[in-house]
Amino acid sequence: MTLWPHALLLLLIVALFVWERYAADTVNRLEENLLVLLLSLITLVSFGQVVARYMFNTGWAAALEFVMACFSWMILFGMAYGLKRGVHLGVDVALKRFPAGLGRWVAMGGAASGAVYALLLLDATWLSWFGVDTRSGAIDYWSKMYKINIGAEELRWPTWLHESMGWKDRVPRWLVLLALPISLALLAFRSLQAMVAIYRGERAMVIAGHEAEELVQQNQGVLKDN
Amino acid sequence: MAPLFLFGLLLALLFLGVPVGLALGLSSVLYVALFTTDSLSSVAISLFGVGTHYTLLAIPFFILASAFMSTGGVAQRLIRFAIAVVGSFRGGLAMASVLACMMFAALSGSSPATVVAIGTIAIAGMRQVGYSKEFASGIVANAGTLGILIPPSIVMVVYAASVDVSVGRMFLAGVVPGLLAGAMLMLAIYVVARIKKLPAEPWRGIGEVLTAAKEAFWGLFLIVIIMGGIYGGVFTPTEAAAAAAVYSAIVALFIYRDIGPLKGIPWANASDDSLTRVGFKGVVYGFSFYAVFSILAFFAVGPAVQGGQTPHGWGMVLGALVALAYMIWRGPGVAPLQLARACAGGFRVLGRNFWMMLRQARPVIMGEDSRGVVLEAAKTTVMLMFIIANALLFAHTLTTERIPQTITEWMLDAGFNWFTFLIAVNVLLLIGGQFMEPSGLLLIVAPVVFPIGMELGVDPIHLGIIMVVNMEIGMITPPIGLNLFVTSGITGMSLDRVVRAALPFVGVLMLFLILVTYVPELSTWLPYAVMGPEIVTQ
Repeated sequence: MTLWPHALLLLLIVALFVWERYAADTVNRLEENLLVLLLSLITLVSFGQVVARYMFNTGWAAALEFVMACFSWMILFGMAYGLKRGVHLGVDVALKRFPAGLGRWVAMGGAASGAVYALLLLDATWLSWFGVDTRSGAIDYWSKMYKINIGAEELRWPTWLHESMGWKDRVPRWLVLLALPISLALLAFRSLQAMVAIYRGERAMVIAGHEAEELVQQNQGVLKDN
Repeated sequence: MAPLFLFGLLLALLFLGVPVGLALGLSSVLYVALFTTDSLSSVAISLFGVGTHYTLLAIPFFILASAFMSTGGVAQRLIRFAIAVVGSFRGGLAMASVLACMMFAALSGSSPATVVAIGTIAIAGMRQVGYSKEFASGIVANAGTLGILIPPSIVMVVYAASVDVSVGRMFLAGVVPGLLAGAMLMLAIYVVARIKKLPAEPWRGIGEVLTAAKEAFWGLFLIVIIMGGIYGGVFTPTEAAAAAAVYSAIVALFIYRDIGPLKGIPWANASDDSLTRVGFKGVVYGFSFYAVFSILAFFAVGPAVQGGQTPHGWGMVLGALVALAYMIWRGPGVAPLQLARACAGGFRVLGRNFWMMLRQARPVIMGEDSRGVVLEAAKTTVMLMFIIANALLFAHTLTTERIPQTITEWMLDAGFNWFTFLIAVNVLLLIGGQFMEPSGLLLIVAPVVFPIGMELGVDPIHLGIIMVVNMEIGMITPPIGLNLFVTSGITGMSLDRVVRAALPFVGVLMLFLILVTYVPELSTWLPYAVMGPEIVTQ
């Protein structure tokens, strides 16, 4: 049982926590830029493939694998970002009807569920403390991949890079999979943050009541006339 | 007992205000941990694997296309066109709103975006000529739901991915029902308008129709790119979606110039004389004709690598003729010298524009406005994909526990036939649609009802359309009707008032649901006619 990945993840989260204390806007902007970059990349590469195929009868063999890895990264990073910004949908009808004090604890429970989910998927060993027979998780899987160090199917480094650095020509699979443990750790962190924020009364709940809350806010009452 | 735990936990988490995606994911993760011997790393890795679902990859692209199309003036142009076409009937403005919603639905595939984009303009317009606020908002709330029925539709992509039918077929299957639903709404409006003596707009002549159509053309051409590309066999639906996203960005940033640094810069300057303007228009018509001709021909004959020969020569000749004809008609007549000057002026203006766009390309593409649009799309994608990823986990847990099979056997034993089964599906979805986000609900319900439907001889495409129509109705019925929230938000009316305002037209959509459920030909005729009968491999 290797524990250094756990330690590294923890270190990463602590570093993020400190950084965010001093430069919250920078972190925010960085997270947004990452999402924008990933979405732009998958769009342009997918479109570029079509153009390359029909106009020049060529293509990038690893394009599909690249696009899908980017898409996975976007989904995974996005879940933590979404929790932070409260874009995830939920049913708030019952939550709004609870008396204020109880409602706050229930909302905190909602936030906590994110941490439970992320920590279970990261490494479920802790569940065995409660007498449940279960094991392994994302970190475990990732460490195995790191140990055997196999390459991705098609995705290769640019020739100049792997030659000058003396790497294998194929991008290692553990690097592609890195998004999984990191995003889950981020999700756990954001959930705990949200819990604290709800406890302090800075935030009412983690969920958005419906998909278009922001859209409606921007256009709130534009047609109101009476 | 174990399946009860799964569903019980899901419902409990949902009502306690856990995000839908987390509720789905957490209940399946806990189920796997407590009741099975599977390792959790396989669950975690399947979470990563959602991104490798090729069909689902179309979703971010459609969202991006929709985000660019929702910026600025596309809605305005569509409404103008719709009014020019149907405005002169009694209740014409209301009918035009429905038509505009239908067209916008074909560009965006998002219901709330449709309600905001069309609603903010159309409701104000209807109020001005004396429609009641209730009537106006009821119509827009209902017509906005067509977004998920008229292709391209994200919900259809999700259904296709979950039960392995072709996205292309689902899109085609949505065309006839979408048109029918729009027609039924317009008919209902016409009847109400006759009774209430609602006003009609004056008929502005065929010229207005043509001018408005020309204005709306670049937006509406998106439909041709998506549908033509898919059915011409040039694009997979995912590639079509990517092309649509890039096309929408170009149209919004460079052609319509609704956002970004080019906003408000006209193509032709006020200082250009009339001859230059005529020349410019002629040249643009010629080029546009050539571009459209080439794209259509490309879709029709296929790419050169597959042996297709796109007749570029013909396109150029015809395009030049169009340009010439326009200039002769509008400008100097058959005077060679004048024509040459107009032509030169036209090319000069065109060149000036292209040079400017080239110079400004970097700020336009990398600018704050386009970043904002992409970020909005990314947020929506992330929100939706989180639900979809976890709903897939949940559905996977259901299947490995053989829950769908159990339910199938039970329903067959209970003597359900296709008629009663479809009633059951409708009731289940109408109830579920009150509480769950459409894609998530669909991913849970589809694996359960799909095998039963196949057993009872229901067409898979038809079943999909029934589900989509149910989701539509879920959007305009309380307590959690997305379009109701949006309409209430933009009009400042209370939710109750919006519910009551929407109610008569919800009746129309209910009638439409019954029609769609029991007349399968409505959904299956077009895909069968274009692509042949469906072959189910289960």
